[in-house]
Amino acid sequence: MTGHDSITTLQQIVERNQVWPRMAAKYGVENPVPPWKTSLDGLCDAIDKAECGPEVLSFKERRDEEDVLSATVYADLPYPENQLVALAHSLVARGIIDEAELQERLTSIRARLEA
Amino acid sequence: MSHDHDHDHDRTVKPMVDEVTDFEVLEIAIRELCIEKGIFTADEHRRFTEFAEQIGPTPAARLVARAWVNPDFKELALTDPMAASKEVGVDWMEPTGFGTPSDFVAFKILADTPTVHHVIVCALCSCYPRPILGNSPEWYRTPNYRRRLVRWPRQVLAEFGLYLPDDVQVRVEDSNQKHRFMVMPLQPAGTEGWTEDQLAEIITRDSLIGVALPKPGVTTNVITETRPAVHGVN
Repeated sequence: MTGHDSITTLQQIVERNQVWPRMAAKYGVENPVPPWKTSLDGLCDAIDKAECGPEVLSFKERRDEEDVLSATVYADLPYPENQLVALAHSLVARGIIDEAELQERLTSIRARLEA
Repeated sequence: MSHDHDHDHDRTVKPMVDEVTDFEVLEIAIRELCIEKGIFTADEHRRFTEFAEQIGPTPAARLVARAWVNPDFKELALTDPMAASKEVGVDWMEPTGFGTPSDFVAFKILADTPTVHHVIVCALCSCYPRPILGNSPEWYRTPNYRRRLVRWPRQVLAEFGLYLPDDVQVRVEDSNQKHRFMVMPLQPAGTEGWTEDQLAEIITRDSLIGVALPKPGVTTNVITETRPAVHGVN
């Protein structure tokens, strides 16, 4: 089981609070869930189904940790933001993704999307 | 980018969130890093996403409607639910068309009777019959529903507005890694002589989970007539 200490990179995302209910209200959008929701579903399925999935993060571990993290470290986030951040947390806490590497990637992706 | 320009595009396109959010960026970052580390491929992810986007409760509603009008099909649904699912377009062995998603299972359809009402849950996590019912609703995943339904089913059902008479037994079926369930509610009074298409319209997702009952004229359980609460007015 991974630790439940907060991960700075993810904590900053929580603090910026660009959660879907806020964003949807700000722009008058009616979709009940954010546009990245089904991609997250695909991401969870792809990990669960991956040949190396059980070694990386098994389905049960992923869901158990999501439950614990959503009730503690990420209790202020709605669903599916809490599912996404909990997944990121599990992958970082396991060392599958390095936090510095994640931070760097977040910066480069944002630059790409805003280009 | 500001959105205060004054032309009227309400009638042409739906508004969109015109801002890159951290969550959108995070989803892409995790996905790209997983792909680069060889955990899955971009094509695998795309196909699972396509699956997630096209599933919904329609095949399940069709299955129940057909069972209501066709006793032979009902028998098939209860004895060989995999075969009955195929007849409404869902192949449990290959629901995605390229290999099963993580929730492959043994599937069983739970037929309500005048004295037994079924409701499904996954107390352990959030197992759900996705190939035939689509993605689970948000509340289905909450510890509130999962923990309490198995202990106080009538209380939880009442919170959904479903009050069952005392002489109706409530049976909670707990899903697990290998088993998925779906409820076949009773055909409601007032729908005698209806066609399969008419019946399929009133078989809502919630009635297939067991937290609601189908009713003539109710084609969704999410739209309700509401009025704002009024405070501080005599």
